[in-house]
Amino acid sequence: MKKEKTKHHAQGHDPGAAAAHSERPDLQDPNVVLSLLEADQVVAAKTRTRFGKRNLSVGARLLLWGLRVYVFVMLVIVLISVIRALHGGQ
Amino acid sequence: MSRPKDSRPTTAYQPAQPTTESAATSSIARELVGQLTHEDRDRARDRWRVARARWKGRGWKSFGGLRLLWLLVGPGVLVFLGENDAPSMLSYSATGARFGVGFFIPFVILTFAIGLIVQEMTVRLGAVTHRGHAELIFDRFGKFWGFFSMGDLVLGNFLTLVTEFIGVRAGLGFFGIRPSIAVGAALVLVLGAITTGRYWTWERITLGLAIFNGLFIPAALLAHPDWSQVGHALLTWTPLPRGDRSEILLLILADIGATVTPWMIFFQQSAVVDKGMQPRDIAAGRLDTVLGTLLASTFAIAAILATVPLFHHGINAADFQGAQFAQALEPWIGHVGASLFALGIFEAGIVAAIAISTSSAYAFGEILGTAHSLNRPIREAWPFYLFLLGSACAAAALVLIPHAPLEFIILTVNVIAVLAMPPALAFLLLLVNDHDLMGEHANGFWGNLAGVTVTVLLVCAGLGFGLFTIFPKLLGG
Repeated sequence: MKKEKTKHHAQGHDPGAAAAHSERPDLQDPNVVLSLLEADQVVAAKTRTRFGKRNLSVGARLLLWGLRVYVFVMLVIVLISVIRALHGGQ
Repeated sequence: MSRPKDSRPTTAYQPAQPTTESAATSSIARELVGQLTHEDRDRARDRWRVARARWKGRGWKSFGGLRLLWLLVGPGVLVFLGENDAPSMLSYSATGARFGVGFFIPFVILTFAIGLIVQEMTVRLGAVTHRGHAELIFDRFGKFWGFFSMGDLVLGNFLTLVTEFIGVRAGLGFFGIRPSIAVGAALVLVLGAITTGRYWTWERITLGLAIFNGLFIPAALLAHPDWSQVGHALLTWTPLPRGDRSEILLLILADIGATVTPWMIFFQQSAVVDKGMQPRDIAAGRLDTVLGTLLASTFAIAAILATVPLFHHGINAADFQGAQFAQALEPWIGHVGASLFALGIFEAGIVAAIAISTSSAYAFGEILGTAHSLNRPIREAWPFYLFLLGSACAAAALVLIPHAPLEFIILTVNVIAVLAMPPALAFLLLLVNDHDLMGEHANGFWGNLAGVTVTVLLVCAGLGFGLFTIFPKLLGG
């Protein structure tokens, strides 16, 4: 499965290469539009698909929670700092 | 009003998989034929121009010629010039007025290097996954973490938007224009930029406005900086700032927050997606980001140099707002120089107001599953445009309310940006290391080393600020 996914990421493939030769593409022709976009760039394809939730490791969860606590504590400190600054200026 | 398109479908979601396969040769091509939207056609038009420029410039190695570069430049330049917003330019101006030429000039360049490391990752994420940052966080980490990161973004963006309109008011206030007229004119410009129904047109209009961030350069030249002193500062990072240490620490934090903020991550990734960039455009996207960094850092240094005369003449600019800087500078850089400075503050506010309200609207549309592209006309994506304009109007209205706590917001906005970055960076690093998403474009060792170093640096800066706020005597205060 991983090999197939790697293949899908190969660089060098240009969906628009054929259309590039025309002076003015007929964008009312859906096949021309589709030839210029990658499969998961089309809006209808994107709205029907989701990448799916990944399993977070214990370390990743701890990191995210730790940073969340950090932000909360720092916001309180910022509030203290600003109140001091405003009172100091009065 | 009709139900906006792209609302959540009733069928179950299929698993997504990033791919460079052409939509025309995919297994679902037949189904897609009858489901193409205005957005798909506009994006296809933009891709045709890129493909044609690449085909015509095929003698050039990586970029297919200058036309290709012109076509692909945009998100990177916009995000950095947008981040040179009103509070940022005022932070740089305060730095120059308070400390003159010295440590802060190479320090500001360092902060832009940090920003470059972060923003390059968003180019790869957007080009490979074709999803915005908010959408990816919700998909991969679930609603719980998604709403947390959205909370940071919405709070930070709204506070920053308010300061942009403060800058707009201050910049035009130098010319005697009433606040209501200044703010109203800014809203008209925001409306004008977004009602084109084409990402490409919106991007070019905003780029055209953003280049006026360069007004700080002639203002700086009129200040007649000592270039040998500037060269000395760049090489030696001296003289070091002297004086009140809490003030120095606050300016360091504000200057970092002037360059790296969460909205930049969300904006650039969504803009890369809306622009239709693909994995083979990543090299050009990197160049676009480098160009944005170079331009923005140059203009930032110009803002520092423009206010150095205040330092030399011992003018206390501690409580200066935008128009006061311009007024205080007039004796030394002339009325033309002061006018350019004031116009630069106005421009900084306008471009950032456009970019930041767009970043909020992108995120809003991504998580709700509604249409969220500047390639959509208003009737097809009215929630997206309503949120964009609504957030700008709300911020503008707050600026016009008498006795509104604007000083509070100005004091906190850049600091809050620095504090909110570590969680945003954690999500970014987790996503860009996700091999199921990124394949060969996932971060390597050096990318991760740089990303983790930046995150640790920002956490330490925030912790340092917190420590010295609670124990001011540690700074000798």
